[in-house]
Amino acid sequence: MGRDAITGLVVFATSLFLFWATLKLERHPLVPVGPEFYPQLILGATALLALLLVVSDLIAHRRGRVATRPTVSTARPNYTLVVIAFAIFAIYVIALPYLGFRAATFAFLVAMPLALQSPRGDRRRWRVVFVVALIATVAIYLAFEGYLQVLLPRGRWLGF
Amino acid sequence: MYELLGAGIANIVQLKYLIPLAIGTLVGVIGGALPGVTITMTIIVALPFTFGLDPLQGLSAMVGIYVGGSAGGLITATLLGIPGTPSSLATLFDGFPMATKGEPGRAIWLGIWASFYGGLLGGIFLIAATGPLAKFALRFGPWEYFSLFVLALSMVAGLVGASLLKGLIAGMLGLVVTVLGNDPMMGVPRLTFGIPFLAGGIEFLPVLIGVFAFAQIMTDAEKMGGTTRIVEAVSAASVLAVSHLKVTWEILSRPFLLLWTSLIGVWIGVLPAIGGSAANMMAYDQAKKFSKRPDAFGTGIPEGIIASEASNNGNVGGSLVTIMAFGIPGDAVTAVMLGALTIHGIQSGPLFISQQPTLAYGIFAAYLIAHPLMVVITGIAARWAVKVVTVPKSLLYPIVLVLCVVGAFALNNTMSNVHVLLVFGVLGYAMVKAGLPLAPFILGVILGDQIEINLIRSIMSDPDPWLFVTRPISGALLAAAVGSVVLALWQHHRAEAKRRGSDSDTPMNAADF
Repeated sequence: MGRDAITGLVVFATSLFLFWATLKLERHPLVPVGPEFYPQLILGATALLALLLVVSDLIAHRRGRVATRPTVSTARPNYTLVVIAFAIFAIYVIALPYLGFRAATFAFLVAMPLALQSPRGDRRRWRVVFVVALIATVAIYLAFEGYLQVLLPRGRWLGF
Repeated sequence: MYELLGAGIANIVQLKYLIPLAIGTLVGVIGGALPGVTITMTIIVALPFTFGLDPLQGLSAMVGIYVGGSAGGLITATLLGIPGTPSSLATLFDGFPMATKGEPGRAIWLGIWASFYGGLLGGIFLIAATGPLAKFALRFGPWEYFSLFVLALSMVAGLVGASLLKGLIAGMLGLVVTVLGNDPMMGVPRLTFGIPFLAGGIEFLPVLIGVFAFAQIMTDAEKMGGTTRIVEAVSAASVLAVSHLKVTWEILSRPFLLLWTSLIGVWIGVLPAIGGSAANMMAYDQAKKFSKRPDAFGTGIPEGIIASEASNNGNVGGSLVTIMAFGIPGDAVTAVMLGALTIHGIQSGPLFISQQPTLAYGIFAAYLIAHPLMVVITGIAARWAVKVVTVPKSLLYPIVLVLCVVGAFALNNTMSNVHVLLVFGVLGYAMVKAGLPLAPFILGVILGDQIEINLIRSIMSDPDPWLFVTRPISGALLAAAVGSVVLALWQHHRAEAKRRGSDSDTPMNAADF
């Protein structure tokens, strides 16, 4: 089973689950088209297309000709870094209402560059990361709160 | 029309509008020049800055970014051999060889002036075609709108370069997103799973920002952690001075090439969600086919640069036509612009030009004035661009993510949209890894509500489903939708047959970009 078949199965299962959830929707007697009509149409078509993807991938595998696209880079993707980057971003999003925009953003702008490219013993790069984080935080804050009147999140814990 | 256009130009040249337009063009040129930062990402980052501006100021800035971004990519393509944006990929084929042969100034300015003329030709089409197309669209009932949206989705699904099936699935997933929330007729909660925030449905801007920004940033993050350095620039980057008359003559002495490649750009722009990346490759391919010296392409000849740059800026005009006449975004950039219109309480579509003539002609004027600004800014920026593009992505991307958060948060000052951003960021990255194209997904999210409303309205007006086929315009649109699917299937089979018939190192075609 290839990547397409797995994708198809995930989409198929999700569509079926959502389709099942629409079965509980109540129809209004005065409206000829109920709230479930359109979702069922869309989800049914999605499930059908997903099933087709699974079948076409299985057939392709059976025939032994799986479409392979030429890739530009041969380097192995660093998925660990992707997971770490998503985790740091998720922590930032969770922390925003507690630390407030200024503190959380500064911390995020320090943590993320360090995670993406570790400076190791390079003192200059550490300094650059901290200075860029500070300048970017202040600039974004002033641009949005001062000039564009967009009220950015305040922290419950820090009070600013 | 001319009076309104004159009034629009008089409006835009006021500092109040000229400054956002110039800043937008500058930001676009820089964003376009940064390898790996697309015009879509640049416009997403700039979006929150337009919230506090009046609609025309905000849209002027966005038009500036679009025009500047389409041209900015040529700087790095020519001087570094790295396309700043996918829409400048073909510029590299002749721009970089010309620059390395000791003519970086000629290469850069050929690109800038070709962008200028291509963009202006796109502008003529934009101004001339939007009104009549919008008038034509006024004859549309719910059947025609439904069929038009189906056509848009099927075309995008078939033309994005991935398999048709995956394109269709991505489009359907976009439609599924719009199903969440209260139904538009009676307000019955659908698939909300008890989450109050979902009752109002999911706004498309955080979805769009999340999907595109994370798909790109995280895909780049896969390659980070190493010591990747950008290759050295053309050493003669300092010698960019040329005779502008000579360069202009080089372009205008090839009127057929300029006109044909600009029209390709415009036409690709009108077709939903294909974008400048396909336009420049197709135009380059066409220029090569029509050339008397096709073998010289790729060695640093002006025709290659002119074809690529005239088409990608002509593409901008074409993309703006669909958003202004039909309310359908031509690509991801115009999708963000559509979002900006919505934020300012403006409904785009066929009535837009008649109900908001000042704004509509203001956009036309901004588009026209953005081009001379682009020439000046790109010409100046080229001197420093080589330094700017060496900014490490590890420093740049976190700032981009913060601006994405601000953009999502500022929509209605709640964290819920930031959570949507995160969820769809993960989904966008997962879709890229699964090989599902993002363009049909986004188009599905944008058009989903309208498809449902028009489908329900048509059924409520007359339950006869054959009306979708028997009403002439609706029937023609549906036939075109079926035709585009059949064409995509035929192209896929032909490509498969070619692939099987040749070795594994088959050259990539334009649709792959």
